[in-house]
Amino acid sequence: MKLKSLFTSSFFLKSIFVASLFILIFISTFLYKHSVGLIDSTELLVHSHKVHLELEQLNSALKDVEINQTGYFISRDSVFIKSFRDSREKVTRSINTLNVLVDDNLTQLNNLDSLQKLITLRYNILFENSINLTDSIPLNAKRFNKSLVDGKAVMTTIRNQINKMIDLEKIYMIERQERYEKETFFTPFYSMMLLLFSLLVFVFSYFKINRDIESFKKANDVLTIATESMKHAEEIGGFSSWQWDLESNTFTYSDNQYRLLGVEPQSFTPSIEAFIKFVHPEDKHIIANGNDQVVTHQEPSTAFFRVIRNDGNIRYFRSMGKFLTNTKGHKILIGINNDVTEEYLISKSLEDRNHELEKSNKELASFNHVASHDLQEPLRKIQTFISRIYDKEIDQLSPLGKEYFDRIQAAANRMRILIDDLLLFSKTNKIEKVFEPAELNQLLEAAKQELVQLIEEKNATIKSDFLPTIHAIPFQIQQLFINLIGNSLKYSKPNVAPVIRIECEIVRAGDYSILNKNTNDAYYKISISDNGLGFEQKYAEAVFTLFHRLHNNSDFPGTGIGLSICKKIVENHHGRIMAESTPGVGSTFTIFFPIK
Amino acid sequence: MLADDDDDDRLFFKDAFEEIKIKTDVSTLNNGIELMNFLTQPDIVLPHVLFLDLNMPGKTGLDCLKEIKSIDRLKDIAIAIYSTSASEEDIEETFVQGANIYIKKPHEFSALKKVLEDVITLNWQYHTSGLNRDNFLLSL
Repeated sequence: MKLKSLFTSSFFLKSIFVASLFILIFISTFLYKHSVGLIDSTELLVHSHKVHLELEQLNSALKDVEINQTGYFISRDSVFIKSFRDSREKVTRSINTLNVLVDDNLTQLNNLDSLQKLITLRYNILFENSINLTDSIPLNAKRFNKSLVDGKAVMTTIRNQINKMIDLEKIYMIERQERYEKETFFTPFYSMMLLLFSLLVFVFSYFKINRDIESFKKANDVLTIATESMKHAEEIGGFSSWQWDLESNTFTYSDNQYRLLGVEPQSFTPSIEAFIKFVHPEDKHIIANGNDQVVTHQEPSTAFFRVIRNDGNIRYFRSMGKFLTNTKGHKILIGINNDVTEEYLISKSLEDRNHELEKSNKELASFNHVASHDLQEPLRKIQTFISRIYDKEIDQLSPLGKEYFDRIQAAANRMRILIDDLLLFSKTNKIEKVFEPAELNQLLEAAKQELVQLIEEKNATIKSDFLPTIHAIPFQIQQLFINLIGNSLKYSKPNVAPVIRIECEIVRAGDYSILNKNTNDAYYKISISDNGLGFEQKYAEAVFTLFHRLHNNSDFPGTGIGLSICKKIVENHHGRIMAESTPGVGSTFTIFFPIK
Repeated sequence: MLADDDDDDRLFFKDAFEEIKIKTDVSTLNNGIELMNFLTQPDIVLPHVLFLDLNMPGKTGLDCLKEIKSIDRLKDIAIAIYSTSASEEDIEETFVQGANIYIKKPHEFSALKKVLEDVITLNWQYHTSGLNRDNFLLSL
């Protein structure tokens, strides 16, 4: 995301730069044109001045000629003639200069033309004429005077003509002066604009570049930290990263890649060939196939393979990859190698253990079958034959034979009970457990119904609180009540009517050490207490052990399975069972069921 | 008719019927293969009730049950499963396959007599018409 925003920022910058460049070029061109215009108007102004000056000079030269002529007329000194000729030279030069100067102006050119004609008329005809007249003896006064008067009239016309030209040039000058002033007025404005805009672009560029540099710096810092933490993470996590540029077929390995292979970082140039040298010979095909899949189908592959380090140590690697496209548009496969040796070995030992457990479970199941069928069958036959003998042949036996035969029957019956109990126990262990709402009051009633004969025989009293409905396997809970109440009835004091009390309350896990103290989950605490024989508290845990018996078989026939079944049932319901007892006072069995 | 591979059980079976005061014609076969060979013969008198042991070598009682139920001529014979085990799986499976009643072999001769008498005098009409899971296992 950050990279993308930087790219857009650089694109934005480029656009701004190009736009600024165009604006700058535009303003510069404009300013240049403006300056050229300014120079032009200056030149025009100067030109007008020159024309003006030249006209003034012409005027004064003409006056000189006039003065010299007059001088000559009075003094008749040839010095004046010479000066007169010099002045005439000046006039001619002035006319020539003016000719060049007003070349671009048709009006002035025409004016000049008529001026020139007038001057030629004045000098060539009138002056020369007057001089010649003066020189001729005797002086023709009449003609001379006329020549002077004519000369004066022409001179006035000439002056007027010159003044006319000067006036016109003055008008030009005023116009040009105005234009020049206008242009000089805008020049600083345009220059200032160029300067300000350049300054603006410069300042903007400075801030933008500064900001970009800042963000680049920040990104660089983050990148540096990420790279560092990645390096450490790789070392801690036992994994390495690699990149495969598919276009150029070049590889990049992280330092830890080398460490995982058991060599110094960057100690060889990364390539498939170099890597595959480390791979276990039996697993080389996995890498080859994976690379094939990458190259031909453009699909990253996950591989699990072994690597043999230089020291001969075998490690288990898991390799995973993902395709990315870099800024150059190259397709790059990035991936990690994970050294999963420890995990693999643990999971393998777990798997082995699972296999063993499965095996022993199967053995247990087959034992179950043996117990349920194969053992029952001969026993059933023995019992049936016993009953046949009792029915038909008992009279044939001697008293001793009869006694032995009674013992055989008792032993066979006991074996029947043992097998049935064992079956019940293994049935409690069955995997299929269907939990459903079970009303404990009903189940207790059903249990009492099962035991009704014994209850009546012992004249027992059973008092019970109102019990809740819990989520349970109903037939197991019923079995639990049967076993516990049955036990109380069985181990009652001789000649004392048993009183069994069933109580129920809601408790918190934290209050009982037998429950998980860390949670404060609610439990149903159901206790079944009696006034029976009781037992030493030290046996409180042993009574739940399979086949464990506290009494002689002759006193109390039993199998030692009943309470084990109870424990199993309670555990099936994620509950706990415990026993408290005082010999001669009675026992209390307490069950905890979690309230969900 | 009884198919059971155990000769003791066949003996108890025959003895029990001898002592029951009901006129019956009892025949026994030694295993599932013999049973199926017998039943698939033409022109034989089919038994009214067939007692079928489950655990037999070669062809088990369940195999026989499936085969009988797949043959039109035989599928209406009343079948009583007669087995040592009373595991839930066996009961469920034979019930689904169409057996009429399930008897757990008793371990007293007097009980055996009572069970067999009950089965013989059972109202088969009632027991074959409706599939009733609750009274499938004959309680003693």
